[in-house]
Amino acid sequence: MIDAPLDEKRKQQMIDALSRVVGKKSILYRYEDVMAYECDGYTIHKGLPAAVVFPSNTEEVAAIVSYLHQQQIPFIPRGAGTGLSGGATALNGEVIISLVRMNKLLHVDYDNRRAVVQPGYINLKLSNSIASKGYYYAPDPSSQATCTIGGNVGENAGGAHCLKYGVTTNHVLGLEVVLPNGQIRRFGGTLDTPGYDVLGLLTGSEGTLAIVTEITVRILKKPQEVSTVLALFDKVTDASQAASDIIACGIIPAALEMMDAMAIHGVESGNYPVGYPKDLAAVLIIEVDGIAAGLQEQIEEIMQVCKNHHVREVRKAKDAAERARWWANRKTAFGAMGTISPDYLVQDGVIPRSKLPEVLERIGQISKQYGLRIANVFHAGDGNLHPLILFDSRVEGETERAVEAGSAVLKACADAGGSITGEHGVGVEKMEDMRFIFNDIEIEAQMQLRDVFNPNSLCNPHKMFPKPARCVEMKRLSREVPAVNI
Amino acid sequence: MVKTSNLSSFLWEDAPDENKFSECVHCGMCLEACPTYQETGLEHHSPRGRVYLIKSAAEGKLQLNNYFKEPIDSCLACRACETACPSGVQVGALIEETRGQLYHATPAKGAGRVVQKLFLRDIFPSPKRMQLLGKMTRLYQKSGLQRSARKLKLLRVLPAHLQEMEAALPKLKTSPLLGRGGELYSAYGEKRATVAMITGCVMDVVYSDVNEATLNVLRRNGCDVWIPKAQKCCGALHLHAGDREQAKQLAKHNIDVFLSNEVDAIIINAAGCGSTLKEYDELLKNDVRYAERSHLFAEKTKDVSEFLVDLGLIAPKGKLDMKVTYHDACHLAHAQGIRQAPREILEMIPGLVVEAMPDSDRCCGSAGIYNITQPEMASQLLDRKMNDIPSGCDAVAMGNPGCMMQFQVGVVKHHRSEQIVHTIQLLNDAYEREDSDGGMPT
Repeated sequence: MIDAPLDEKRKQQMIDALSRVVGKKSILYRYEDVMAYECDGYTIHKGLPAAVVFPSNTEEVAAIVSYLHQQQIPFIPRGAGTGLSGGATALNGEVIISLVRMNKLLHVDYDNRRAVVQPGYINLKLSNSIASKGYYYAPDPSSQATCTIGGNVGENAGGAHCLKYGVTTNHVLGLEVVLPNGQIRRFGGTLDTPGYDVLGLLTGSEGTLAIVTEITVRILKKPQEVSTVLALFDKVTDASQAASDIIACGIIPAALEMMDAMAIHGVESGNYPVGYPKDLAAVLIIEVDGIAAGLQEQIEEIMQVCKNHHVREVRKAKDAAERARWWANRKTAFGAMGTISPDYLVQDGVIPRSKLPEVLERIGQISKQYGLRIANVFHAGDGNLHPLILFDSRVEGETERAVEAGSAVLKACADAGGSITGEHGVGVEKMEDMRFIFNDIEIEAQMQLRDVFNPNSLCNPHKMFPKPARCVEMKRLSREVPAVNI
Repeated sequence: MVKTSNLSSFLWEDAPDENKFSECVHCGMCLEACPTYQETGLEHHSPRGRVYLIKSAAEGKLQLNNYFKEPIDSCLACRACETACPSGVQVGALIEETRGQLYHATPAKGAGRVVQKLFLRDIFPSPKRMQLLGKMTRLYQKSGLQRSARKLKLLRVLPAHLQEMEAALPKLKTSPLLGRGGELYSAYGEKRATVAMITGCVMDVVYSDVNEATLNVLRRNGCDVWIPKAQKCCGALHLHAGDREQAKQLAKHNIDVFLSNEVDAIIINAAGCGSTLKEYDELLKNDVRYAERSHLFAEKTKDVSEFLVDLGLIAPKGKLDMKVTYHDACHLAHAQGIRQAPREILEMIPGLVVEAMPDSDRCCGSAGIYNITQPEMASQLLDRKMNDIPSGCDAVAMGNPGCMMQFQVGVVKHHRSEQIVHTIQLLNDAYEREDSDGGMPT
């Protein structure tokens, strides 16, 4: 594999060859044109790609990959670039294969409740296009209005409503992929296929195993009724205890979201304020859905639990418009941090729900220790925390401090029996943090698995795993792995 | 993570404001709101990408050359991204400031420069010359010259999009409102407010009937209306093109003129002008002499629909038996946040059936002079827009002359039959119908 940037002559040859595949209008390589592809939603690490190429069908993806494989030039698949762990960043001048022009809804099979989409198809567009028939696509990352389903598969994206309905992997029924050697393969397609769960392996593989070119997803009938409760708390511990107790009493909410004071400050300064009181410590948004009968009882039970934990105010959304306002506020929380800080680093820790109060306290200590404000947004129902570490990259050393604080937060999550990522992926950001969860042998086992699909690590290299340089033994081992062609 | 100590590539006055671009945290929520990103899928032709390029130029990582200019020029300045942005990044203002830098760094050359100077510096700033252009057009249309030119196919020398525009140019029936009569018009009936009216350039030359309707509607709603003869172009087109110096001159002139009398509001019926007028304080933020008055001017400026609804519109009784749909002009919906007021006005007209247009706030491609400078993208967006008009509509209503002209091109190009109207024209029609049906205005 070529790890150094391509020299001018080889770069020109590559541009000519790829232009023959996709046409001159579908490739970018000038400095000014690729500058905007320097990073995705994670902006701390950057890298200029050698070129960005825009295939419009699977065959073009295969032809591009075949050429790059033959030339041993590394490459990276990219969707809308809303990823939050740097998964689509060309750290070493790789070629970016952008799938945004493969953006069609190919087929909807209402009888069997599935839809077939191209990878560049926008998440929310699927729900919008099938809404009139009473269906929707469940995984709803906050970026759903712009992120692609291909990217969702790469990261195994979650979202507010994944508490009840499961994350992307629970909704992928089939995949067509282009392997890193350019071969086209199909997996799944029916409800269950015998043998290994390759779909499960590919979903969340962050572009390190293959490039997804077509996805069959499950679609769901819209629930008969939806009801949403907003609960305002004066103490974070009360809010976290209430969240825990709601689940403990047997209710499975469609969503159970929490924001702390700093996060509320951010969203209220942003473009979609709700009008929360200024002195609030935490807010919970609890949504239940399903058949109408029995929903009201659940709402009453939830409100009672909140009252048991000294809620200041708790009420039900009076109509769909009010519910939409609460959600718009919550779903723009990350972006709204721009109003209170020039940069942020969002973490994606997972903890057992019952540990919420103590981990929050630890995050508060980390904030003090590093001298950086931390806003907390959580999918409280499934223990997925998103501490937003606020910093200013223009201040000398602050970026480094933010990265260290982020790592400390993940360590705290891992120590509490949790994990370092719930839905954003490892990418560039959390490569070293993988050691909080896995020992060298476990990491090595996963790299061997990667080698089965991606033997030379041409496809999205230097991502997901700790740098082997820190572990000489591992490097030696990986050399002995025979390349297997599948 | 090495700090770049490079100097900014923005060397001239009014450089893009660091506070504005540092608010962008690169989340990407704006991508699908952007018409040019929707069409191309190119990151550098998206709001996030453009802001990133502006930031990179400010850090000295990009030079102000034609490659940098291309994505800045391709921006419609429709501000749909500002509606989508969680942080409220002012992308429109950043683009205008960057165009101001490019105006100096990459000056137009040859014929383009002559045309630019003629329109931006000579014609638009002078209402007299603007009106002369209108007179010449009327002469061209009436004298048979237009017929001959079309017959002899002389227009073939023009690029295709200009031919389409020539074909769609509405017949200029009446002379401009500005300077036609006196400056003062009194309210019909009980007086409720005193307002000044800005007649606009394109609006007054091409659509003086919309201005007449606006004047009539204001008077019927109890307004004394003052139309100062000394007013000039608002400077919106200059800002779009990066000519900030001329825009500031015009802004200061208009502030002096309109604040010389006490009025409750300054009324505008063109969304593009309205958004610029309301941002005079932003344009003149570095001018201490105008700081206070530009702010006052901006506060007093109201779109006609917003003003009427706030005042309490007198419900028309005349019935209009029509089905219409409403298009949100970008500079009303995204730049001024006015979405409900025009719809409320339409809802109050008896007999009028209003059907919603899908994606009604996506740009039609007009965008100031965009349809002249970027014809290909403008035409793609127009085609999409025409396909979005619900079937069976008699008219499409909107609140901006640029959109009206663009829709007019679409109607001709797509062989459609919808009337293209300003919201206020429908309201005025309903009042006039009320008069002819019986009761006269008091």
